[in-house]
Amino acid sequence: MSDSVKMVIKLFIITAVAALALGVTHAVTQEPIRQQNEQAAIESRKAVLPDGEQFNTVDISQYQNEYPGIVEVYEGRAGDTGVGYVFKIVSKGYGGDMELYVGISASEAKLTGITVVNHSETPGLGAKAADPEYLEQFIGKPVENPLNAVNGEPTKDEEVEAITGATITSKAIIEGINDAITLYNQVLKDGGEGR
Amino acid sequence: MKISKVFFNGVLKENPTFRLVLGMCPTLALTTRAINGIGMGLATTFVLVGSNLVICLLKNFIPSKVRIPAYVVIIATFVTIVDMVMQAFVPALYESLGIYIPLIVVNCIILARAESFASKNSILPSIVDGLGMGIGFTLALLLLGSIREILGAGTWFGMPVVPGSFNPAVIMILPPGGFITLGLVLGLLNKLTGETEQS
Repeated sequence: MSDSVKMVIKLFIITAVAALALGVTHAVTQEPIRQQNEQAAIESRKAVLPDGEQFNTVDISQYQNEYPGIVEVYEGRAGDTGVGYVFKIVSKGYGGDMELYVGISASEAKLTGITVVNHSETPGLGAKAADPEYLEQFIGKPVENPLNAVNGEPTKDEEVEAITGATITSKAIIEGINDAITLYNQVLKDGGEGR
Repeated sequence: MKISKVFFNGVLKENPTFRLVLGMCPTLALTTRAINGIGMGLATTFVLVGSNLVICLLKNFIPSKVRIPAYVVIIATFVTIVDMVMQAFVPALYESLGIYIPLIVVNCIILARAESFASKNSILPSIVDGLGMGIGFTLALLLLGSIREILGAGTWFGMPVVPGSFNPAVIMILPPGGFITLGLVLGLLNKLTGETEQS
């Protein structure tokens, strides 16, 4: 057998073993990863709407063209009463799509929480958007009007602080939240008569 | 070569960042905060030890003409397995380190150590070399990350460490700050160790 044939066979063996190892790992980890993601999704709904006990999917397919960023909407219920809504939003950030959850309380018409569950923003800059310390400022903001990002200290009710050095990320977050606020005001408010 | 010498070779004498000047892409991109340096450094150390071990074991099997593609396949496989296993079974750790894991594949320190050390030495020195290089890389990233975080954000590991009157220079956590810090630290270390370009 010539050297080059040997070389090809050996390289093939290495790649085949690598492919096999990856396939086996994938098969073993697929289910746990799916469960982790599902568990994380339920927890992130509760994180933005702490009053909610169960979360029922709301059909928003007819608004899909108007609000392409809104992926899913859940009605949070505590017993028999609806306490608010959770919006799963995909917004275009600097490093790719950002996935966020936005919670709106129905009785108080306020934001109850924002979490960023998936993002590929720059570590140390845009990635700060996922920090609870940053997202805390959104809690309790009224949802009558869309929000605005400003540099430095916010002075008005509808203003929030932008992230230094991450304009595009800040804008993506605000636009995602504003989509949720607009949909809430137009369709879901007052018991959701619009749907 | 003595084992302890192999270890300290990676940490000090041939420090991957300050001496070999390898793996600059993750170094510049990630050292915006001290904690990032630790995370990336430890994840790299883990992969470095693993890939050094595997390549050392396979060194007689891999034909020398195609060793580079073979190393790349082995390293990428190792990193991907680590990535998937961490995501499945230690989600909390994956959450904080996950973003750095895929970046390790493109870190040339790992390929460099496979090529220049693991493929020529026996198992124990190869593991120790991976450990030493990884720790040297971690310390270098920690130093750069600390400087940039303190000057650029006024914090260290997220805690405020400078008086309120100090206005953080945001440029230090932006890409230019990475180049400035790396250049100055490299220059300072060369001055201190008296090693200038003589060849």
